[in-house]
Amino acid sequence: MSADVFGGLDLQNLASLGQIAVKSSTAVLLAAYGEIVAERAGVLNLGLEGMLLLGALAGFAAGAATGDPLLALGAAACAGALAALLHAFFAVTLGVNQVLSGLALSLLGAGLTGVLGRDLLGAPGLVLGSLPIAALADLPVLGQALFNQPLLTYLALLLAPVLSWAFASTRLGLVVRACGENASAAYASGVPVRLVRFGCTCFGGALAGLGGAFLSLSYTPGWKEGLSAGQGWIAIAMVIFATWRPLRALCGGLLFGALTAAQFSFQTQGAELVPVWGLRAAPYLLTIAVLTLVQASARLRRYSGPPANLGRFFHPEG
Amino acid sequence: MTFRKPCAALLALCLFFVLALPAQAAAPGAGKKIRAAFVLLETINDQGWTTAHHDGIEYMKKQLGDQVEVSYTENVHSPADAERVIRNYARQGFDVIFGTTFTYMEAMYKVAGEFPQVTFMHCSGFKTRPNMGTYMVRVEQGEYLAGYLAGLMGYKNVGTVATQPIPEVVRGIDAFTLGLLRGLKESKTPYDADKVNTVVWLKSWRDAVNETTLAEVLIGRKHDLIRQMADTSDSSKAACMKGVAAIGYGTDAAKYGAACALTSTTFQWGPLYTDIVRKIMGGVWKNDQMFVGFEGDGVGLSPFGKAVPKAVRAKVLSLKAKMGKGDDMSFAGPIVDQAGAVRVKQGEKAPDKELLSMRWFVRGVSGKLPE
Repeated sequence: MSADVFGGLDLQNLASLGQIAVKSSTAVLLAAYGEIVAERAGVLNLGLEGMLLLGALAGFAAGAATGDPLLALGAAACAGALAALLHAFFAVTLGVNQVLSGLALSLLGAGLTGVLGRDLLGAPGLVLGSLPIAALADLPVLGQALFNQPLLTYLALLLAPVLSWAFASTRLGLVVRACGENASAAYASGVPVRLVRFGCTCFGGALAGLGGAFLSLSYTPGWKEGLSAGQGWIAIAMVIFATWRPLRALCGGLLFGALTAAQFSFQTQGAELVPVWGLRAAPYLLTIAVLTLVQASARLRRYSGPPANLGRFFHPEG
Repeated sequence: MTFRKPCAALLALCLFFVLALPAQAAAPGAGKKIRAAFVLLETINDQGWTTAHHDGIEYMKKQLGDQVEVSYTENVHSPADAERVIRNYARQGFDVIFGTTFTYMEAMYKVAGEFPQVTFMHCSGFKTRPNMGTYMVRVEQGEYLAGYLAGLMGYKNVGTVATQPIPEVVRGIDAFTLGLLRGLKESKTPYDADKVNTVVWLKSWRDAVNETTLAEVLIGRKHDLIRQMADTSDSSKAACMKGVAAIGYGTDAAKYGAACALTSTTFQWGPLYTDIVRKIMGGVWKNDQMFVGFEGDGVGLSPFGKAVPKAVRAKVLSLKAKMGKGDDMSFAGPIVDQAGAVRVKQGEKAPDKELLSMRWFVRGVSGKLPE
């Protein structure tokens, strides 16, 4: 096949594109996994964008202050989890509208980081670069794409199968799913529904915080206002696109990462793969397509629909 | 539990108030001084366009001391918002209002008609009124020198992270490419005359994530130098992390972590602002279309990076001195476009009108201009 069909791509180009595709989707992936865990437990959290920003700022600030990668990542996870705790308090304890509370969290994150981060704009800080995995990194194409990445990218790749397994095969996974599918039944069988929902929401927040830290420490080192630039919203679209399955989210995230990288790559050869507006709208358009498809068939709805109690308040006394 | 909904509503309300109010900085007025207001696109520490304007404001304040009183409003993104902010300043009796980005043109034009006693200055636009002028820096001069520097160093396959396809950016890319070609000829580097500078569009002024992605794609495609054009220096930083050279844009990229930057083209609004306010003070202001390059310190080059050899520095600086004396060769003919048609004839220069509406690429640029 002529190389021109692929815009002059050779194997080395493909390897570099693969590496970029995987790396550039890391923040979206981590945030999406977190949201999947929260939503499978029944809590809708539209505050991903805010939690990404809070994590990015906290991670950057802690990294710049201490120079310690673990402290930086810990601070990012804590910031995300704390923000999620706020959402959980409103959503799970008080039972306010989860859409409203989540959106408020996104606004809060954007505003708060804008104010708190002013002095850190343009400041130098910790950078977490790639950590090639010894022999594996030398494999053709795959080595560069999968085994020559920053730490959090490995986490994003590994978490999908781990979460998938946990949902399917562990008691904890069953408990989480029960809270999201039928909270009353779960409660009746002795599951502390509200505690589980708190835990899952905070876990989701911690992952989103790490996603933010990936941006401010690895991908685009440094703090900038509005750094996440809509990645949180893409992650939310990704959760629906993936029909609440971690492995599908991994595929979806990588697909969009690859599309963006391929688009740029085509442009260097003077061609355009898809119009830029089409690419920007793609996560949302494809999500709507998946939603429509799932809604259209009862069978698909049963296996790929949202958790039955998603966004619904649960109170032990009814 | 009836308090749930009001509780959430209250929370949302509070947030909107916290977030919706743009930051304002105003000093109390005293005595007879010029009151100048600035409407800014982003925050003053955005590291790019707005930071450059803020540096200019600070420069002017230093020059004029307590003869001038300054207010500014940040984060004014939409024309509708701009109209509100501009009208507010006019009502408050400011002597001069500066609109620092192209987006505000119509809004400023409208408000200027309502307040004939106030002076309006619009950055990078083309509409004027008796009380409204425009000002812009000659970005092409800095770009030409930056390209010349890269060419002298033998970079012949540049990757440009381009932003929005407006004339200012297009003529920047063209000037950079013309300078690059001149440098390549002088350094006797063999090159592909159709493709020394590959341009890919972000379709955004700042988007750190995609700037990085695009820079990495260009590096993967074996481009030897990354030309940053976005506000933030992330494409330059991505290049540095991959061991590839970079040139910054608007503000000094090295200051923001791109240590490998050979140089950055900088926009210097301070001399312009000082000049405009002085003219208003002296009652000699006219609704000019001010357009300032090296001769008026409107543009500059940041300190050279370590990798730039002494001989190259000397050559670039001597060309810069020429431009400083008013000898602008950035768009001196003969210039041919991508299709090979002569756009500027031998012995001629592209007129300002052409520069301000440029919609074509010179030969040497690889890439398309989106519609």
